[in-house]
Amino acid sequence: MTTITQDRFAEAKTQFQQLFEQDVQLLNGHAEQPLHQLRQQAIQRLPDLSFPTRRDEDFKYTNFNRALNLSYQQGTNVMIDHATIDAYRLNGIAPIQLVFINGEWNAELSKMENLPEGLTITSIAKALQNDAYRAWIEAQYTKETEGNAAFTALNLAFAKDGVFVHVKKGAVIESSIQLLHLAIVDDQAMVISPQLFVQAETSAQVSFIETHDAATGYQGAYLSNGIARFALDANAHVSHYRIQNDSQEAFKLTNIDIVQERDSVFKGYTIDLGGRIVRNNLGAEQTGVGADTNMFGVYLGKGDQHIDNQSFMDHASEHCTSNELYKGILTDKARGVFNGKVMVRKDSQKINAFQQNSSLVLSKTAIMDTKPQLEIYADDVRCSHGATIGQLDEDSVFYLRSRGLNDAAARALLQHAFILEVLENVDSEDLQDHIEGLIKAKFAE
Amino acid sequence: MLNIKDLQVSIEDKQILKGINLDIKPGEVHAIMGPNGSGKSTLANVLAGREEYEVTGGSVTFEGEDLLELEVDERARAGIFLAFQYPVEIPGVSTSNFLKSTVNAVRVERGQEELNAAQMLKYIREKLDMVGMDPKFLKRSLNEGFSGGEKKRNEMLQMALLEPKLAVLDETDSGLDIDALRIVADAVNKLRSENRSFVIVTHYQRLLNYIVPDYVHVLYNGRIVKSGDKSLSLQLEEKGYDWIKEEVAAIEG
Repeated sequence: MTTITQDRFAEAKTQFQQLFEQDVQLLNGHAEQPLHQLRQQAIQRLPDLSFPTRRDEDFKYTNFNRALNLSYQQGTNVMIDHATIDAYRLNGIAPIQLVFINGEWNAELSKMENLPEGLTITSIAKALQNDAYRAWIEAQYTKETEGNAAFTALNLAFAKDGVFVHVKKGAVIESSIQLLHLAIVDDQAMVISPQLFVQAETSAQVSFIETHDAATGYQGAYLSNGIARFALDANAHVSHYRIQNDSQEAFKLTNIDIVQERDSVFKGYTIDLGGRIVRNNLGAEQTGVGADTNMFGVYLGKGDQHIDNQSFMDHASEHCTSNELYKGILTDKARGVFNGKVMVRKDSQKINAFQQNSSLVLSKTAIMDTKPQLEIYADDVRCSHGATIGQLDEDSVFYLRSRGLNDAAARALLQHAFILEVLENVDSEDLQDHIEGLIKAKFAE
Repeated sequence: MLNIKDLQVSIEDKQILKGINLDIKPGEVHAIMGPNGSGKSTLANVLAGREEYEVTGGSVTFEGEDLLELEVDERARAGIFLAFQYPVEIPGVSTSNFLKSTVNAVRVERGQEELNAAQMLKYIREKLDMVGMDPKFLKRSLNEGFSGGEKKRNEMLQMALLEPKLAVLDETDSGLDIDALRIVADAVNKLRSENRSFVIVTHYQRLLNYIVPDYVHVLYNGRIVKSGDKSLSLQLEEKGYDWIKEEVAAIEG
């Protein structure tokens, strides 16, 4: 016998289904395209999927479903002048720039001329027409993501301008690729669905820098529900930076999945400065021996921001390494969550895994919840993890002040020093300087 | 320059200083000696501006201004320098960035222009030479992993850079070998001038072989019980503190 219970998210689901139908009507005959078929399948799965609730262990501290209470429209391009977008370009750091306004790809503002040999950047819609890419992309559309299936389905249904990047065997792409996401949202809340699918072939090398900003003067609410998928063949090297400075009213969910073949190296950096409720799910699976995964994170919470980082490091092969360092500072009534799991599977010997989460909690009303977890089924491994939550060291503050720095300057210097341990891992000095500048600006607010 | 009148200080309701009187004129070097627990470090810390000490009576004026009303950083910018007994290690703050920030913070307060990068480098190099410090320390985090002597040398470097009107050395010599001690003494002697005063708090007479004080005061049980010139410190070295304690007991008895 089946028990039928009321779906508490029925209303939200209906809203998204209706929104999807509106969007379909704008397709003008493109409804038969492979991408649309995949999107259609995703929205059809939605009624059977549940949005996460606080009863789910992994969402215990984060009520992301508050995002479902708003009335949304599909994110669409708005007219914008060049000067506005120029403020967000990482000129000198990332020569290749893909610009997205409210999730919609703006080809005119993007810089993609003369791409280096071996690098393909195209829309997912176009990539699906290529036999070489189709099977893998289709697999991404049906891949179940634990705990986040409903939001993942929403992303897959609503993303029209997903990006597909392919790096050919042995191609070393020296130019970093910026994915510039700008939200221009006023009173009408929008759904923005960033999407990035990356295939790096054997010994390929490539670096991505995602920037997520709200345009100055636009602090409206939106749901930014993104996914990124990375497949690294043997010995491929991929870096992925995500610098998030969204609106103070933004609900920000990001699901990133990485699959690594032998000897490949992935470096992920998550810098969270903005957003109202921010949730990152980062999962890496090492399927080949000798793979190396690095996860770095910085979170700065002020006001009533809520920033939740979840990571899952899956050592599914031997001789692999992982290095995970997350540091954050919380003040006012901000709340931070870190939930990092390191799994070492039964036959994954000779694993070297490190995980550390440290937070500074600067006010009585700020909260940090941290939960580092190790699950080890092999016997010859070296794994360490730790978590600390503390305040600024007052002796250090006194020392700096005794040399003439005022209280605010002394504290800013120490906070900066605390975060620096993570930022030192940024490969480009210019990019590190850029991130430090953003962090300083946030401290100075 | 510095005028301490009947200063009384408590920490956690325990009275440590029971009425200190001290008058320091520009260019003078005063040594404060005394047995453990006599209140030497408390005096240094109160001058520096530590908040956990409660001043329950008396006054401290610095160049006519009520020093006790100033925050620790205001005191530093006004020209008071405290060399710490245990300088703090601060990972992530590079020594050079720290020095640049402090030098300019103090300069701005004095109405001088901030030094640009080239001027700053030159200025810091000059003072590094003066205290005999290897420039490689500039790249390291502040005091992190420094030996005891290196930390003290770094304190002297900061003193040289900030050019204070009054420097207070809080047991800077404790735990130092003779080479490190000479570095501290050298720095002080080079910086001695008719406008700059020093308060040297020390447990041992040894430092005063290298820095010749104008006055020596013996602090005992929260009071200055004896003052004299440098010969007093030699007497203490020879006879220890017991005779002082006995004298005090006889008077109070």
